[in-house]
Amino acid sequence: MPKVAGLPPGTLVMLILRVLRQEPMHGYAIAQKIRHLSSDQLSVEEGSLYPALQKLLANGWVKADWATSDTGRKVRSYRITPKGLKQLESEQDDYQRMADAITAILEST
Amino acid sequence: MTNWFRRVWYLVNRRRHERELVQEMHEHRGLMHDPATFGETHRLLEQSRDAWGWNWLDDAAQDLRLGVRGLLRAPAFAITAVLILTFGIGLNLTLYQMANVGLLRPPDVRSPETLARFKRKSPGNSTSTVPYPFAQLVARENTVLSAVLLENHGAVAWGDELTPITASFVSPNWFSELGGTAAQGRLFGEGIDSVSSAPVAVVTHQFWRTRLGSDPNIVGSTVAVNRVPVTVIGITAREFVGTDNDQPSAYLVLDQREQVFPDSPFLRSWEVENTGMYGRLKDGVTPEAARESLRALLAALREQRPDDIVEDEWLDPGMGSVNFMDQRERRGIVGALSLLGLLTTLVLVVAAANVGNLVLSRATGRSRELGVRVALGAKRSRIVRQLVIETLPLALFGAIGGTMLASWASNLIGALGGLAENIDLSPDWRTVGVSLALSVVALMVIGAVPAWKVARQELMAAIKDGGQQVSISLDKARLRRFMMAAQVCGSCLILVLAAMMTRTLQRVLSDDLGFKYEQAAVLDPGLGRHGFDDAGAIAYWNAVKARVGQQPETAALALALAPPLARRIRGYSYDDAPWLEVISNSIEPAFFEVMEIPLVLGRTFQAGDDPKTTVIISRALAMAMFGSVDVLGQGFPRSKPEATIVGVAGDAHAIKVEAVDTSELYRPLAAEEYVQAVLIARARGDAATLAPVLREAAALDSRLLPGVGMLRDHFERRLTGTRIASGIALSTGLLTLMIACLGIFGVVSYGATLRVKEFGIHLALGAESKSIVRLVVRNVVWPVAIGMALGVAAAGPIGVALSSGPIQVEAADPAAYAGALVLFVVAALSAALLPAMRVLRSDPIQSLRHS
Repeated sequence: MPKVAGLPPGTLVMLILRVLRQEPMHGYAIAQKIRHLSSDQLSVEEGSLYPALQKLLANGWVKADWATSDTGRKVRSYRITPKGLKQLESEQDDYQRMADAITAILEST
Repeated sequence: MTNWFRRVWYLVNRRRHERELVQEMHEHRGLMHDPATFGETHRLLEQSRDAWGWNWLDDAAQDLRLGVRGLLRAPAFAITAVLILTFGIGLNLTLYQMANVGLLRPPDVRSPETLARFKRKSPGNSTSTVPYPFAQLVARENTVLSAVLLENHGAVAWGDELTPITASFVSPNWFSELGGTAAQGRLFGEGIDSVSSAPVAVVTHQFWRTRLGSDPNIVGSTVAVNRVPVTVIGITAREFVGTDNDQPSAYLVLDQREQVFPDSPFLRSWEVENTGMYGRLKDGVTPEAARESLRALLAALREQRPDDIVEDEWLDPGMGSVNFMDQRERRGIVGALSLLGLLTTLVLVVAAANVGNLVLSRATGRSRELGVRVALGAKRSRIVRQLVIETLPLALFGAIGGTMLASWASNLIGALGGLAENIDLSPDWRTVGVSLALSVVALMVIGAVPAWKVARQELMAAIKDGGQQVSISLDKARLRRFMMAAQVCGSCLILVLAAMMTRTLQRVLSDDLGFKYEQAAVLDPGLGRHGFDDAGAIAYWNAVKARVGQQPETAALALALAPPLARRIRGYSYDDAPWLEVISNSIEPAFFEVMEIPLVLGRTFQAGDDPKTTVIISRALAMAMFGSVDVLGQGFPRSKPEATIVGVAGDAHAIKVEAVDTSELYRPLAAEEYVQAVLIARARGDAATLAPVLREAAALDSRLLPGVGMLRDHFERRLTGTRIASGIALSTGLLTLMIACLGIFGVVSYGATLRVKEFGIHLALGAESKSIVRLVVRNVVWPVAIGMALGVAAAGPIGVALSSGPIQVEAADPAAYAGALVLFVVAALSAALLPAMRVLRSDPIQSLRHS
């Protein structure tokens, strides 16, 4: 897993899947969205998106297509697959469970 | 499943993927305000590659490339290693190939798994050939065979020159059932089965090519066979071998045999057992079912023919898929072959251990390099994997070389052993499989073991002192000493066995056979084939003997039942001397004079001696059964006397030349044995002068086509097998010795180079050269000594095991042991002392200064 400052390992994959659940988008857009949704709290080194995206491609959780953007550039746009949706659900559950457990310990008297 | 598909697709299109990714990242950077925060492209590319999981492949490819480069830089080591492996693998493959072709492989005929060869058995008795009318009867009455094939081979005279050739008389369905095809003309089929149709023949491709000069007009022409005109109707296809590797020159129809051998009772007699019987099992019939059905059939037929069919008789099928062998035969042969196979595998292990030691030496020399890799974060498993992959090219080339060597050696042995040219010796998929398996074994020994050993060391420490410490500890390593002991044991063992075989051959070749064969010739007119009865045979022989005896070239002559150096007579053993095989012969009184066998005591036979109650025994038999040679007048055999001993003859291994535990028993030639007898004559001069004499005398009866041979030719032929085996064993032994010595040399030499500094200090402190030598050699003394002891100890039982099989060796032969040991010790000592001398000569003190 790419080591990113400030982000727990493995969660980048989950975040990308979440973002892609809304609509397919290309790499730059994904980075923007993550920053926007987290209100700039999460600093993701933008380049590290790409190894994560490759992992998603390798496991069949997203599919990539080349398209031309409105500005005439060739961009690769990523779209989530049904398998990816399932993976997102399962990772969200795991994460939630872990977060709850940690919260429970922190808040115990 | 689709995951795999995706990953393989990626692997195939890797370059394109990476190009696209780079472009994508470039585009992304272009859109950013602060492109510097994007991240370093190369690192990101590496991480992206990781995601697809093909890293191990990349690493392996890199290791392989490094390995090959390393080997190229050390060509001496690479070539030595490959040669050693080639030899080890090639030897095993050759043995496997020859065993396969000669013994194990099913014949190249149609559906060998449903074709059986029948042995006629009854309690205590077994023959592999049956009487012709018997076979016909079974063929007619049985319910389990869809076809019965019959075969009888013998010598016939071909052409006007009456050249003797081997011919096979076969049933008309022979070729169609076996799937044989014609190269020219046609083969036997429908319409050629009755006695009255004109005799026809088919010649084999090899005979047509080599002895008939590829005559283009042979098909359709008429040839004289036994002076009877026969039409040649076709030539077999070149690849057709038939049921046996031993092929005839021509095929004739069995039903027409009487036309070529008039007066022969063969086709009608229930006594003459000369027909080989094969059967094609019907669909769904198992061999066991066939056997039982035929057993019942024979029991039923016995009611009608109680004289011709014995009680409790049955026909035992040997299936074509196992080369027609029955259980016991196959077990015996597979057993002997496995033993040989074990030995040759031992050679391979020795070879591989040797190469392993060499690899270990090289690896220890690289302990510094490996230490650096560990320091940079490589896991030990990675290091081991690297070392193993680096030996992969060695194993691969060893396998290729071994296959080529096996192919060449098989062809050589085939040519030397007189194997027919159309027998396919090329490696089949099984051979390739065995070759691969052997290389894997070799790879395991060579690559994995030393690699693991190296990886276990404190490689980090290796960086500090340049690898000295690690190398020294590896030099003493138990593993290396164990491998050395294994090498020495294996090569010592093989050397001793080879020495035994050579000694056996020597003994056989020396004059001490107990009889003289150089000047003797044998006349075999085959009276039985031409319908002679006892009186006719006696009359014939008397006339022939008179004629031959008159000639000045003849020194002496006598009739005997078994010609010397023939394989016809089987041996018995008596309870009074169970380990001794007694070979009996029926002879005329002059036999001893002809063969120049001395009579130690007593007399030879006289005119009045009864064949049933008079015997002459050989000295060995007398000693074994009675404990002394003074046995004249005693009853024989000792515990149940049926005959009286009238003479004791010197030992003469006239039948089984190489055998050690045999003895002879002679009886007078009985009247009914004259039909089967042969005439042995000794020439005054060279044996060849007798040939025309014998032939002319035999032609007294114009029907006969007698065979005349010289004993020394028979002798040479009998020895070919042992000669080849000895030659192979000796060369193997010497080569293995060389490998082991190479190993000793390598180890000692390497150890010496490592410890040069140490020796320099010793010398500086006043040590003598002798103690330096002792230091150098010390590490190998124990492994070599133990290896030799084990090898010599193992040679005894293995030698005994081999003697019961196809190869004769005298296991308790001290000269063989001594010779092999001396040779080994001398070689090993030189191999060990040479580097020691070199160290001394190169002045270790100098090295101290330059360290």
